[in-house]
Amino acid sequence: MNQILFGVIATMGVLSALGTVLARNLVHAGLFLVAFFFLIACQFVMLEAEFLAAVQVLVYIGAVAIILMFGIMLTRNIQGDDTTTVSRAGFIAGGLAAVGLLTVLIFGITHEEGRSGRPAWNSVTTRPAIYPASARKSESQAAAINNMGLAVGEDLLTRYIVAFEAAGILLTAALVGAIALAIQEGPVSDDPSDRVKSKQNAESLAADEAESLLTSSRA
Amino acid sequence: MNVACDWAFPLVWAQQSELDSIPWLKWIIVLAVVFFGIFPGIVAYTVWGERKVAARFQDRIGPNRVGPLGLLQPIADAIKLITKEDLVPRSADRWVHLIAPVLILVSAFLVLPVIPFGVGLAAVNPPSGLIYLIAVSSLSALGIFLAGWSSRNKYSLLGAMRAVAQLVSYEVPQVLSIVPIILWAGSLSMVTIFDKQVLYGWFLFSPPGMLAFVTLTIANIAEVNRTPFDLPEAESEIIAGYHTEYSGMRFGLFFLAEYLSVFAVSCLGTAIFLGGGTLPWPLTGEPVVTLGGGETLFAMLLLNLPLIGIFMAKVSLYIFLMFWIRATLPRLRVDQLMAFAWKFMVPLCIINIFISAVWYECVIRPSKPNYLLGWGVTLPLVVVSIIGVLALYRSSMKAEPVELTTGSRRRSVVRSVS
Repeated sequence: MNQILFGVIATMGVLSALGTVLARNLVHAGLFLVAFFFLIACQFVMLEAEFLAAVQVLVYIGAVAIILMFGIMLTRNIQGDDTTTVSRAGFIAGGLAAVGLLTVLIFGITHEEGRSGRPAWNSVTTRPAIYPASARKSESQAAAINNMGLAVGEDLLTRYIVAFEAAGILLTAALVGAIALAIQEGPVSDDPSDRVKSKQNAESLAADEAESLLTSSRA
Repeated sequence: MNVACDWAFPLVWAQQSELDSIPWLKWIIVLAVVFFGIFPGIVAYTVWGERKVAARFQDRIGPNRVGPLGLLQPIADAIKLITKEDLVPRSADRWVHLIAPVLILVSAFLVLPVIPFGVGLAAVNPPSGLIYLIAVSSLSALGIFLAGWSSRNKYSLLGAMRAVAQLVSYEVPQVLSIVPIILWAGSLSMVTIFDKQVLYGWFLFSPPGMLAFVTLTIANIAEVNRTPFDLPEAESEIIAGYHTEYSGMRFGLFFLAEYLSVFAVSCLGTAIFLGGGTLPWPLTGEPVVTLGGGETLFAMLLLNLPLIGIFMAKVSLYIFLMFWIRATLPRLRVDQLMAFAWKFMVPLCIINIFISAVWYECVIRPSKPNYLLGWGVTLPLVVVSIIGVLALYRSSMKAEPVELTTGSRRRSVVRSVS
């Protein structure tokens, strides 16, 4: 049963991934990507990681996909339906690069060897940690499954604290950078078509920009 | 009181296992009766209730022609919607146009299985139910966006743009005002949150709890696009927003989804702040404690009928509050909407998480809860933080008169286009 389900979900996942790459309409490609994210969440459920499945839906479909759609609409023409064309040469080169990457990955993962006599990375269960392993609560796999939110939270704030904080700083920097780019300093222009707003919140700026872009392109 | 509750829980769980022994029957009942019968029925009569309430607020009578008190009006409306022609505009993106309302409706339905309507009456109880609930309710933003985009109509697209900006912004305070509950309950499971409230009293009854409840209510109203946050479908500006090009039952699906989300967010607020189906403070454990005994189907029904009754009464009150606000307040401007979310709600919710941690240390963590200390410490903190954030918000709005001009100019631009 599980094997069949996995097969079905994996097949649909590969098909929607192909759809993402091959769809000519950008919003359709985005929709296929959403389907792919959802099927990844299904795989998490198959692995009894329903917390991760919910987080996957929340982060990738609820946030990333929406931002992606916004991005498509703000950067290209507003309906996002100018079909992009790829030249045959580009198609062949891209295909070759993809096949090459796949070969390298498969070969690398299956033939991986440990450094200086140690066992291979994918055959050991312990991972390097800042926080000493002995100080952690020993928790069984079943407990982690039954309260995965707790398990993930504890690991994020103990074992993976450095990576977690680094990611947080990176995202904050990105946010500040985005706001700094979006703000236009200086006095308000007299030209009524010029939409200059100083010191406005980045999010409201994005929304306003979308609206004024739309109205000006339609007017 | 709290000690008296402890014995009740093993018995309550025993009843749950009796029904679990026939899972297929339970699932058929849940799906066929509740999801295809009761919830759409609730939606139909919520619409009737809204029309009646709105009419009373405007000194009218409301629907009164079809059946006694107009009670058959929703059925007549549904028949009308089903028999209408289902149009897809020629230039629309056909498949996306067809998928979008389904996506919104699915999102509204998926919220409901984790709500604990009574003891053992949550259709599923995932250990991270609250995250699941937030995740599936965020799907509706995508559906709204696709509906507006696929219609090839500038009003639809405008509505979709506004909707997505609003939903993404107000999702942040919505989630942040749920965080104190997770902290206090120590769990993401909706059933555990209900059980904790039977033990400790409603989570509403603490200063940070009240603040979080108010912010959650505001964010909920914004999330379901109701007045004063109905910019995405503002009739006087952009026709009907993202569902301008929809007709017949496909428009009916939007309608169903909107009122179903109203019901769902009311259930969320009731379940996590108002103690689900329990009575208020002096009788918090009731009726779970008194009726908790017995392991038969009859005892289970006896326990759950009052629970569901009280739950539904609270949900009705919450929905009535939304009707009331809709009948009272005018619509916000786009810039006011965004500034309110990001400059007022988000800072207040973040401060409130810290205050709720203080409450946790005073009341929930100690073996002997010290309510007096908790109220004495957190109430001034809550008041000071509300006043402080409000003052900051006011001064930031006053420092930017340019926002006022852009807002009014934007509206005039929209008007000139239309």
